[in-house]
Amino acid sequence: MDALTDNALMLKVKDGDLDKLGLLFERYKKPLYGFFYGMTKDQELCEDLVQNVFFRILKYRYLFRGEGDFKTWMFHIARNVNHDHFRKTKWKHKESIDNWEERLESEEDRATQFRQDEEMQLLSMAMDRLPEDKREILLLSKFQEKKYKEIGDILGCSEGAVKVKVFRALQELKEVYQHLEKHL
Amino acid sequence: MERERIENLIIKFNNGKLSAEEQRALELLIESGQVDIESLSIGVLDKKITELSYPTPTEDLDDRFYQMLALQKREIKSSFSWKNFFSWNQLSPKLAFASIALVLGMGIGYIIKPNEKPGTEIQALSQQVNDLKEMMMLSLLEKESATERLRAVSLTSEMSEASAKVTNALLKTLNSDDNVNVRLAALEALLPYIKESSVREELIRSIAKQESPLVQVALAELMAQIQEKSSVKELEKIIQSERTPDEVKNRIKESIKILS
Repeated sequence: MDALTDNALMLKVKDGDLDKLGLLFERYKKPLYGFFYGMTKDQELCEDLVQNVFFRILKYRYLFRGEGDFKTWMFHIARNVNHDHFRKTKWKHKESIDNWEERLESEEDRATQFRQDEEMQLLSMAMDRLPEDKREILLLSKFQEKKYKEIGDILGCSEGAVKVKVFRALQELKEVYQHLEKHL
Repeated sequence: MERERIENLIIKFNNGKLSAEEQRALELLIESGQVDIESLSIGVLDKKITELSYPTPTEDLDDRFYQMLALQKREIKSSFSWKNFFSWNQLSPKLAFASIALVLGMGIGYIIKPNEKPGTEIQALSQQVNDLKEMMMLSLLEKESATERLRAVSLTSEMSEASAKVTNALLKTLNSDDNVNVRLAALEALLPYIKESSVREELIRSIAKQESPLVQVALAELMAQIQEKSSVKELEKIIQSERTPDEVKNRIKESIKILS
């Protein structure tokens, strides 16, 4: 068990003890990086985005009241950072069949790099082909450990609505997965 | 019945045979928590997502983060500005602190201040003046001139506090001064110290030493006034003396009457 909870650490940061943000960074750099990687598949960009999240946490630390979960607040910021990035570079991220092939090739390289088994490679590729909102909800579910209520807080909807969103995303993921299975 | 309907929906979903209407019904069940995603076939996929591994960030991210943190800390330290200093948010705690410190300081000052109103220096000065008057009085009492000795006696009324030396000198004057007026003045000057038992005792003894009828009557009246019963014996001696005029005897008798 952590000696200091996330919230306690963040409240210290809010009070001016900025060094405590280092502890939160160590705790959450990997999940955040994973979330961004799932969304962008660009390692260099992911580091920028993680850095950006922590910069915003510092900048808006006075807004943290300690009432909700720090992790939820952090992913809320992460989601905004991701959206801002995509808004700025919209032309690069058109979801079209045309760039699927290109992404497949790069995915194959990465698959070898991480030595995942074939099934997991396929799942990872299927995730990449999901529309952004569906990919996002599945990644939030993964990194928020299926805490649907907290995800609801991030997305601004009810726990039940989150469950339905996850359900629909999984349905589409299954379709894409099966499609890839047939064609690869 | 309801349970059966739900199970049918789940089986149909797992076999990929749901109609649009049934899909909506299943979604409602998921939303209300009656059906868990884990209980459906796609729950396996959901579980697999949690097992998906992603690459980890490089040390470069650590370097950049800690550089940013150090920069922010420096900016906070050097972010002093007069505008901020005088902003109400910044100023109000400072003002509150200053007010509390001022009130506390005044309180402590009031508690620890010396009790003497004139201050120690003034007190020392007045003591010196008193000592001077005392010396002057004692030396004046030695003078041959009765006027000078009267001045000496009257000086005691100006003294804030007479020492034992002064009262002894006054008693000596009362008992042995040649001049009756000086003796009477000495008696009057001793009145403020009448509460002192030693002074009272000396006054009683002094009765026998007096020859002047004026002083004798004054002493008798004083004894009656202060209800000094132990003086009766001495007063009776004066009455018994043949040298005492009748008028004086009568006055003394009156005093004894009051005392007895």
